[in-house]
Amino acid sequence: MSDLQSQLDQLLIFQKEAPIRFQTLGNFVLWRDGEKVNSKDWGRDKTVQLIQYLISYRQRHALHKEHIMEHLWEEGDDRDFKVALHGVNKMLEPDRPSRTEPMYLERQGVTYQLNLDKVWIDVEAIEKYITIGNEALVDDPACAKKAYKAAIALYQGSYLPNRIFADWTTEEREKSQVLILGAYTVLAELLVNENPMECVRLTQQAIAIDPTWEDAYKIQMQAYIAKGNRPQALKTYQKCADVLDEEYGIEPLPATKNLLKEIEAIG
Amino acid sequence: MTKKTAETASFMVRFNQKIYADKGEDKVQWRGKVSHVQGGQELNFTDFNDAAAFIQAQLAALTLDATQDKSTEEQENILKKSYSLFKTFAATGPQFLKETLKDPRKQVANIQEQLSEYGEELLEKVPLDDWRNASKSDFQDIKESISALTKSVATLNKKVDELSKTAPTKTTARKAPAKKVATGVKKTATTAKTPKTKK
Repeated sequence: MSDLQSQLDQLLIFQKEAPIRFQTLGNFVLWRDGEKVNSKDWGRDKTVQLIQYLISYRQRHALHKEHIMEHLWEEGDDRDFKVALHGVNKMLEPDRPSRTEPMYLERQGVTYQLNLDKVWIDVEAIEKYITIGNEALVDDPACAKKAYKAAIALYQGSYLPNRIFADWTTEEREKSQVLILGAYTVLAELLVNENPMECVRLTQQAIAIDPTWEDAYKIQMQAYIAKGNRPQALKTYQKCADVLDEEYGIEPLPATKNLLKEIEAIG
Repeated sequence: MTKKTAETASFMVRFNQKIYADKGEDKVQWRGKVSHVQGGQELNFTDFNDAAAFIQAQLAALTLDATQDKSTEEQENILKKSYSLFKTFAATGPQFLKETLKDPRKQVANIQEQLSEYGEELLEKVPLDDWRNASKSDFQDIKESISALTKSVATLNKKVDELSKTAPTKTTARKAPAKKVATGVKKTATTAKTPKTKK
């Protein structure tokens, strides 16, 4: 078994067995020991904001308390932070004995960070799956396909959709969206001849996220041709040209136009 | 209780680079999308001026919102100051690009004229003759060369100023740190703040 395949398998196991799992795409949900936690149990919104902030900045180690408070609440005081922190720890470890250190939200002095070895987060997993997919693409396309599929299965929508107006969520939202657009198009390209209809579905998903994603239209045209559906391939080109004209006032790239010529020549 | 008006505007800018060959010539196209985070508005663009205008409009709205309790005259004055953020950018970059695209040969002449002011030595360093038959896309190189030259001239001017101030004492010029250039699809979040206003 290749090293990448083994990494992928370990990630899939972690996704299934992690004691704490967060869904942040399309919705915000916590699973504790495999059970979905009622969103009302979070109580105050500041508690939810704090955990979502820690998730958003999970890769910046040791977030300072003052920095978190300033970024989240501007006018919040120390008490607000303490209450929110207590709420987060209570949600993650409701049965933790008093005077013991939290396991999932680690503290060092006045800095905090999530323990990513124990806490599974969908956006973190997506990035890892796509990294494996990209690395395996040339030498192990089967592993790459599996990795991309695992990433795509996790993409349930925009990152923290109820916080789209909060600037601290923007970076993660943009990053996950660009990553998944890449995964959709690369996987679709791998499946053009093997499974054209799945390829069409994947490109449609990409276009639904970003209607100006030209690569997706081009691959979709190829998939329709592989399926023998010339009229639909022509329609796809037209849609692409219309969208690019409307949004940017530009024409499709020469490669897309050349593909159109090839399709027209088939008739 | 006083109501605090919004004082932060965040923008996410996505650039998508398309490199392609057209009639045997390599070309680059940038497709961009700028989003105003707090308002949710978005704009697709291929000309960065459009993105700048979009950002400017959102910031103007923020300024107007923060100065609602002021007189029209005061509001206009503050808005004018708010626009100064874009003054330098609006006065130089777009005009240069517009003129270059409209008449590349004329722009070469302008560049030559400007360079001649700095003497023959500088003219030798700029391969203007190679550029005379250049295509429009080659003018990106010209722009970059001009930008580098402008910086060099500014540094030299500074040096001369320092020398004339401190002469005959010895002075050393500070070396500017190299700028990191990112390529490919990239994203940038920018935030802007206006003064706090309470009403």
